[in-house]
Amino acid sequence: MSLNSRRRVVLIAFALANVPSLSSAQPGAFGGGFGPPLQVVAPPKAFATSDEHYKFLLSQAKGGTKHTLTSVPRWDGLWNTAGNTHMSMFIDPPGFTGKVKPGVLTPPYEKAYRERWRQQQELGEVQYDRLTHCEPPGYPRFLLEPYSHEFLNLPDQSYQINDFGPSIRRVYIGQEHKNVFGTHSWYGDTIGFWDGNKLVTHTKYLLPADFTRWSPMTSNQFESVETWELKRYPNDVERLEVQVTFYDRHAFVQPVSAVYAFRRAKELEAAGHRVQHWECETSNNDVIDSKGGTSSRLPGEPGFKDPRGTTLFPELPGQSRDPIYNTTLPAKKE
Amino acid sequence: MKTVFRVLPVLAVASLLTASVAVAHHSFAMFDKSVEKVATGTVVRWEFNVPHSWLRMNVKNPDGTETLWSFEGSAPPSLLQRGITGSTFEPGNVVTVSYCPLKDGRPGGGLGWARLANGTFVNPADGGCDGSVKAIEKWKPWLAAGYTSSTEAQKPK
Repeated sequence: MSLNSRRRVVLIAFALANVPSLSSAQPGAFGGGFGPPLQVVAPPKAFATSDEHYKFLLSQAKGGTKHTLTSVPRWDGLWNTAGNTHMSMFIDPPGFTGKVKPGVLTPPYEKAYRERWRQQQELGEVQYDRLTHCEPPGYPRFLLEPYSHEFLNLPDQSYQINDFGPSIRRVYIGQEHKNVFGTHSWYGDTIGFWDGNKLVTHTKYLLPADFTRWSPMTSNQFESVETWELKRYPNDVERLEVQVTFYDRHAFVQPVSAVYAFRRAKELEAAGHRVQHWECETSNNDVIDSKGGTSSRLPGEPGFKDPRGTTLFPELPGQSRDPIYNTTLPAKKE
Repeated sequence: MKTVFRVLPVLAVASLLTASVAVAHHSFAMFDKSVEKVATGTVVRWEFNVPHSWLRMNVKNPDGTETLWSFEGSAPPSLLQRGITGSTFEPGNVVTVSYCPLKDGRPGGGLGWARLANGTFVNPADGGCDGSVKAIEKWKPWLAAGYTSSTEAQKPK
């Protein structure tokens, strides 16, 4: 095969891989249905690695826009998820009743995913979710977690906050990747640059995990390139859209792309909601049971953690975490 | 309580909008979603917490004793959009709830809808049971007829 025909095959394969995602936004999923249907924007060309992809975009943006405190786009305030095309990467329509798309994942990852999807189809639920153990949502689950979010942009850094954990991503603007700890982490290392009002990011050094309990697992080579842009549509629709291409040489046959969205959570602001430090370790009673499924410890059972009970110092007055009602639950059955 | 009345007109829309986000923290495979039951009891505590809220209620048994039941609802960011706050269920309130029971028979379940002492219905459900307007409307005649289980209510006469 000549170089030209090989290039043509790669381009056709790339185009075919991206065609379905252009038409399969999921209204109703994770806040979907807000504004016009979401459409995936595929990368400008096929890239072998996320580094190559990010460097190409950086070069196209001529090194990026240097924003100041007064010019950097302001996205502060509360946000909610507003849909995504996430499942379309791996499942044929119509979503939860569809079938696993063959050939998107490598054989071992596809086999593992088919078992997970079998549970979803046959039991109506996947048996277990790692968040049950209070593991962080991590990335990329961060992009679709249905808790409130905040996005704070400064000229040299952006902070992206999810109200569970809480999870905080930091985007280092105009910098190179660093990994001084010599390991991978739940949110990895994210660098970025501004291309006008678009924030382009590159994330790597992530822990192997699963997107969600309905999604495939990913490896420790999972990486991404994202483009964040605040878009405005008729009827006062304001939507923060995140076009993402995921790379994983162990899990994906070729890179996959999706779009995730957020809308301003005006109703939450009106209700007086403020992002809290909701930690899971001392208040969560969901556990993995002897059959590998999820269960919950109830009051009085061994190991039950009283989310509103007394702290480590019960001998002192005023140690309840339920100051308004000061309620108590039955003691432990040992 | 005033908040609940104020937001009632938007509850139907809000619950429809938020139903799809009730799929977050853990699998709901532990709940038997093939049956919906109803329990009336006295609120012991409303744990309005992330990642899930829990309603703890004392429910009377046929022999007159009480059992503490636990019902799992959605997280505050979702519930606030449905007009439910940390004071919607106050200790001592008598409320009626629908729930999908724990499959292992312990006294708990996934919370569906809740009927407050003043008769107002709210939807605190997560993915463990159905608390939507549709479920509430389905249950209204069943409650009036005295049913406490969807299985009983749907049994051919």
